[in-house]
Amino acid sequence: MTGTVPWRVAGTMGALAMLAVLRATAAWDIAAGDDGAALRLSWSARPERIETCRRLTDEELAQRPPHMRLRLECNGSFAHYRLTVSVDSQVISETTVRGGGLRHDRPMHLFEEFRVPAGRHRFRVALVRVDSASATREDSSTAVADTMRGSREAREIDERRRRAGEAIPARLVLDTLVVLAERRVLLVTWDGQRRTLVGLTQEPAR
Amino acid sequence: MINWPQEAVSRTRRSPPIGHVRHLERLAGRILRAADAAATRFLGWRYNPLHQSGPVAFGLLLVLIVTGVYLLVWYRVGAPWTSVQGIVADPWLGRWIRALHRYASDAMVVAVAVHALRMFAQARSWGPRTLAWVSGVILLLFVFVSGWTGFVMVWDTFGARLAIAGARLFDALPVLSEPMRRIFAGDRPIPSAFYFINLFLHVAVPLGVAGGLWIHVSRVARPVLLPPRVLSAALFGALVALSVVAPPPLPPVANPFLAPASVPIDFYYAFWLPLTERLPEWAGWAGATATFVIAAAVPSLVRRPREGSWAPSVVDERTCTGCAQCPQDCPWDAIRMQPRSDGREALVAHVDPAQCVSCGICAGSCAPMGVGPPLRTGRDQLARLRTFLEPLQGDAPIVAIACENAAPRHLEALRRSGASVHPISCTGNLHSSVIELALRGGARGVIVFSCPPRDCRGREGPKWLEQRMYHDREAELQPRVDRRRVRLATMAAGDLAGTLATLSGFARDLDLLDRPQAGALSPIDVLCEPATVPAGGDR
Repeated sequence: MTGTVPWRVAGTMGALAMLAVLRATAAWDIAAGDDGAALRLSWSARPERIETCRRLTDEELAQRPPHMRLRLECNGSFAHYRLTVSVDSQVISETTVRGGGLRHDRPMHLFEEFRVPAGRHRFRVALVRVDSASATREDSSTAVADTMRGSREAREIDERRRRAGEAIPARLVLDTLVVLAERRVLLVTWDGQRRTLVGLTQEPAR
Repeated sequence: MINWPQEAVSRTRRSPPIGHVRHLERLAGRILRAADAAATRFLGWRYNPLHQSGPVAFGLLLVLIVTGVYLLVWYRVGAPWTSVQGIVADPWLGRWIRALHRYASDAMVVAVAVHALRMFAQARSWGPRTLAWVSGVILLLFVFVSGWTGFVMVWDTFGARLAIAGARLFDALPVLSEPMRRIFAGDRPIPSAFYFINLFLHVAVPLGVAGGLWIHVSRVARPVLLPPRVLSAALFGALVALSVVAPPPLPPVANPFLAPASVPIDFYYAFWLPLTERLPEWAGWAGATATFVIAAAVPSLVRRPREGSWAPSVVDERTCTGCAQCPQDCPWDAIRMQPRSDGREALVAHVDPAQCVSCGICAGSCAPMGVGPPLRTGRDQLARLRTFLEPLQGDAPIVAIACENAAPRHLEALRRSGASVHPISCTGNLHSSVIELALRGGARGVIVFSCPPRDCRGREGPKWLEQRMYHDREAELQPRVDRRRVRLATMAAGDLAGTLATLSGFARDLDLLDRPQAGALSPIDVLCEPATVPAGGDR
């Protein structure tokens, strides 16, 4: 019958055992993989625009709706890049990357992680533009500037310069020798101010 | 057994998946009965927490809300880990309140899992209960989301690992062009907006859970939301004691440049983590989606034809007097009173088959025996009892009317102890006239064994039975019936000794009644007290 002393003792012991199980499983230590290190690539950068531009005449411009009167008419696409990752001269990854979005006109977002053994390694990360055609433009900035009429066309030039300045160069290479302790991470990222790839092993100073 | 009608099931051809699910259902039933029996042995049926997994889960949700409000006061979005470290450093309140928040959330997952298992194993997951089942599955998903955001809020090594694993899964979807994992890469600080969104979700999702609970119990006439006070106090006390004695450790702050050697994960919310980290993202999504879809499809997979024992109640308009008792007793609000078609003035009961779960409670509530599931109305019960009593003529047996779901294995033991056992689907179905007929038919006494009140599949069977026997609830046991020869008792799996002791005690009292000795009989008022705790008394 329930309620007798042996059952009550057993019940108490059972309840204590369940609490112990609750405690153990609430903070269940599990190993986080091997003792190696990691190489992490992470950046967001704007790819270069490969395009052919033609300067519209005043007559052509007049035929356009007022809100579409851009002096330069450009056709093209955003560049593809070849990403090659080597550790100690051995290529561990080789892929083609491009801008985000359906039209690939968004910034190129990248996140990759590679397990590497702890220790001293030579890391080489190369991001090289695949598209060989350079931009062809009938105009040069100077020529356009000379013939500019009004602030709207000046803004057009500024905007193009700004975009071109934001785009990553045709060739980016980080070649570095790093000693990685166990479980440490080497982060390779794009430094927009220095316009280069940088390697970090700790959070950058703010 | 009426609530497990294999004969009704076998009438329909079952496709292989449904057959497998039925096997699973039976297996779950065996596991549940064994667990119930063990818990009853340890704690007694009154405080068996497995019988009240739903109310226990709700009670734990209340604990989470109260402790969560305290933690919210001290949490800082701008310094998540540091603020939690500050909470943990307070030995008087912060440390154990945070631990209680954590343990209560874990215990709630266990309670919800037991609740789901119980509903599945007892075939209470389909038909009119489909809404409750599906909303329960969605609520469980909400509980997990709330838990995940809570762990990520702290931004310790476990929170970061959880966030990165989740981000990895989301990155596999063609939704965001920028990988979510970039947030945690380490090249820039994690934006405060991330912690704020986490905090918002951690507060908002439980509010959704509260709304979802309303839907979850909306089909039930009188939902029971909290466990009995003693059990509530015991559970709360045990969790507080555990929180004080052994609070969970606060893992170190997450560092994107250092992978910790080990991470203390919370099994209840991150049981999937070690597996999915080793699998490709699509496999993680496939597993999660399949689990959710299968869980939500259970009502379709286990449903039975609404015939035989699963047929909804019907009303005989000729005998219904319009007393409106059955709508009051129906635990599922499946009965409404409506104008009648035979020209009489009184209203007539109408059963909505879409809401009726065929529990048969209405059969016991109808004095003129005008309502109930087919073959289980009061008249059908009387006919069955007459057939049952025929071979017993002249034996003057003790008739044990027993709920066949309560403890099926006890029935044979009762027979061996000399009782004539008359199983019924639920003692809440029992029409009081059946007891009277048994006594008139020559029985020395009638003992009615109900399931534990909190484990009644008809929800309120023992409660209404006790009211009809002793408190003049409509369809009451007539005053002319000698109460000394009637006893109500509880029969719980795991307490066979208790069942047999109750029977032998009743037999002893009947012996004294048949051969009275001065002062030997207990006072009548004591005998009239039901052996069961009034079902509503401990709520």
